[in-house]
Amino acid sequence: MADIVLKDVSKAYGVVQVLDNVSMHIRSGEFIVFLGPSGCGKSTLLRMIAGLEAVNSGEIHIGDRRVDTLPPNRRGVAMVFQNYALYPHMTVRQNMSFGLENIGTDKAEIARRVDEAARMLEIGPMLDRRPAQLSGGQRQRVAIGRAIVREPDAFLLDEPLSNLDAGLRVRTRVELAQLHQRIGTTMIFVTHDQTEAMTLASRIVVMNNRKVEQIGTPMEIYSRPASRFVAAFVGSPAMNFIPVSAIRNTDSGLQVEAGGATITAAFASPAGNVEGLTLGIRPEALRVASDGALKGRIALLERLGDRTLVHVTLADGTLVIGEDVGKSTLEPGTEVALAIDGAGTHLFDAEGVAYHAD
Amino acid sequence: MLRDKRQEYLTALILVGPFVLIYGVLFVWPTIQMVMLSFTDAPLIGPGEWVAWENYVKILGHRLFHSAFWNTAYFVLLTVIPNTLVSLLIAMAVNRLDGWKQGLVLACFFLPYILPVSVVFLTWNWIIDVQYGLAQVFVRPFNGGEPMSLTRTIPAFMPTVAFVTIWWTMGFNILLFIAGLRTISPEIYEAASLDSAGRWRQFSRITWPLIWPITVLVLTIQLIAQLKIFDQVYLFSIGGRQDATITLVQYIYKLAFQQNRGGEAATAAVLLFAMIVVLSVLQYQLLRARGEK
Repeated sequence: MADIVLKDVSKAYGVVQVLDNVSMHIRSGEFIVFLGPSGCGKSTLLRMIAGLEAVNSGEIHIGDRRVDTLPPNRRGVAMVFQNYALYPHMTVRQNMSFGLENIGTDKAEIARRVDEAARMLEIGPMLDRRPAQLSGGQRQRVAIGRAIVREPDAFLLDEPLSNLDAGLRVRTRVELAQLHQRIGTTMIFVTHDQTEAMTLASRIVVMNNRKVEQIGTPMEIYSRPASRFVAAFVGSPAMNFIPVSAIRNTDSGLQVEAGGATITAAFASPAGNVEGLTLGIRPEALRVASDGALKGRIALLERLGDRTLVHVTLADGTLVIGEDVGKSTLEPGTEVALAIDGAGTHLFDAEGVAYHAD
Repeated sequence: MLRDKRQEYLTALILVGPFVLIYGVLFVWPTIQMVMLSFTDAPLIGPGEWVAWENYVKILGHRLFHSAFWNTAYFVLLTVIPNTLVSLLIAMAVNRLDGWKQGLVLACFFLPYILPVSVVFLTWNWIIDVQYGLAQVFVRPFNGGEPMSLTRTIPAFMPTVAFVTIWWTMGFNILLFIAGLRTISPEIYEAASLDSAGRWRQFSRITWPLIWPITVLVLTIQLIAQLKIFDQVYLFSIGGRQDATITLVQYIYKLAFQQNRGGEAATAAVLLFAMIVVLSVLQYQLLRARGEK
C-alpha cells in the first residue's frame, strides 16, 4: 500500500506533445479513475506509471521510492490490459503463476496465492483451461487474478471493461467495486465512460487535451465542474449551454439574462464583461412548469417512465433539454415553459472557466 | 440455391475436376509409372523386362548409393537446423525495427531468394575463387596463410555449399518467422515485462512456444527441400570429383541420364520418395506433438 505522486510529468512522441506537466497525489487505497475522451493522454499516463512508456520530464513516486527510471517489474504495480494480454499457450494457472515463478517465489506459496485468487474471482474450475477456451468475462477475471496474485502496491486497469457486452460490463463493474472494498489496494482505472467513472471512483481525474482539467470526487466533478469541458463531458444527458445576453450586479447576486429568461444567483463571477459568457444548466435543473421563465417549443420527447426528457427549441434557436417529472402529458410541437433552479446553474467565461451559483 | 444433392455433386465435380485431372495426369500417373519402372531393367527410353526386386537389392548394395545417402544426410544436417535458427534470429532482430527500416532490411535478406541458382552459383564461385575471391581473406588464416579451393577440398565442399544454400534460401524462412512473430501481441510482452520476465525468459517462455508451429513448418519445408538437393552441389562440383560429393538426386540423374539405366534410376527415386515421406511425416508429427505438450 502506497501513495502515488506525479510531479510535472510530461510526454512527447517526437514533436507531438501528449502530456503536459501533469501533477497529482493519489492516496493509498483510493480508487482513481482517469476519465477523458480518446487521445487525451489518459492511457499514456497509466502506461507511464506502469513503466511501459518512458517519462520525458517530471517524476513519478510510488511510496517513498522514485520509480520513473525503474523497469516495470520493480515498480510494485500490476496491470490489467484492455485486451487482457493473457499468455495464449499457458493455462489459467500458468498465466497466474508466471510472474511469481519469475521472481523465484516458493511453489507452495504460488499455489496458495493462485488458489486464493481463483476462489475470490470464482475461476477455480477454469484453472487448467487455456485463454482460448474462456469467454470474454472469464478472461477478464483471469487478467485480474494474474494481477492480484502479485500482491502489488497498486493496480493499473486500462479500459478493462470496454471489450465486454453491456450486461456483463455492469456486473463486472459492481464486482470490481466489491473487489476494491475487499482488498483495499490503490486502483487506477482508465476509461472514457463517464458512468464507469462516476460509479467506481473515489476520485476522478478528468483529462482533456494533454492536461488534467479537474481532480475531485464524482459529486464534486458533477456539481462543481471546474471548466466547461468537464461540465459538458460528465453527465447524461449533457449540460445545456445558453449564450448570456446581459449580466447585472444586484444586491441578491448576479442577474443573468439568457435565452429570454432572467435568473439571479450568487455567481462568483468577474462582473462586467458579458462577451463569451455562457450559462450552463443541468437538465434536472430545468423543470417543466407553467410559470417557467424559459419558453420554447417542444422538438422531441424521450419518455423514460419516471420522468421525461424534453428537448425544447428556444426563441433564439438554442436547443435545451429539460425534465418533466412524473407521468408526462406533453406533446411534441407544443409550447412549453421551463423553470430554472438557480442553484443548479453555472457560468462559463470565454476561456471555459466555471463560476458556480453558490 | 442448389436444391437437390445431385446438382450439388455435379457442381463440386466441375469445380475440382480440372485439378484432379491435371494432378492425376501429371503427378499420380507418372508416380505409378515410376514405381512400375523400378521393377524392370528398362533403359531411359522404352520398356524393359520384369526383374522383381533385383534393382532394389542392387541399389541398396551399391557403394555410390551409400555415399549419396550419407552426403545428403550430411547436407541436411548442415542446412536444416542452422538455417532455421539463423532465420529465427534474424527475423527477431528485423521485427524489432520499425516502419521503413524493417521493410528495407527484410527486402535485403529476401533478395537472394529470388535469384536463380545459376546466378547464386556464379556469384559465390567468384567470391570463393582461389585466385581472386574475396572469401580467401577469411580462408587463408585457417590454411597456414595459403589460399584454398573450398569446392575442390572435399571436407570443405559440403559446408561451403550448405553456407551458400542458407544464404540463398533464408529470406523465405525469415518471412515466415516474421509473419509468425507479428501475430504475437506487443501487449503480451508488456505483460511479461510487468511479470518480471527478462529477455531470455520472454524468448523461452513466450516467443519460442508461440512461434513453434511456424518453426515446425519451416523445419519440414527445409527437410523436404534439402533432401532433394541437386543444383548447387552439381554446379559447384563440375570439374571436380563428383562421385565424392554426390547426393541422392544427383545419383538418380547419373543413373538415368549418364548411364541410361532407367529401371535403377526409378528404384533410387522410389527409395528417396519413401525417405522423404517417412521423414517429413515423422518429423511433423513429432514436432507438433511436442508443441502441444
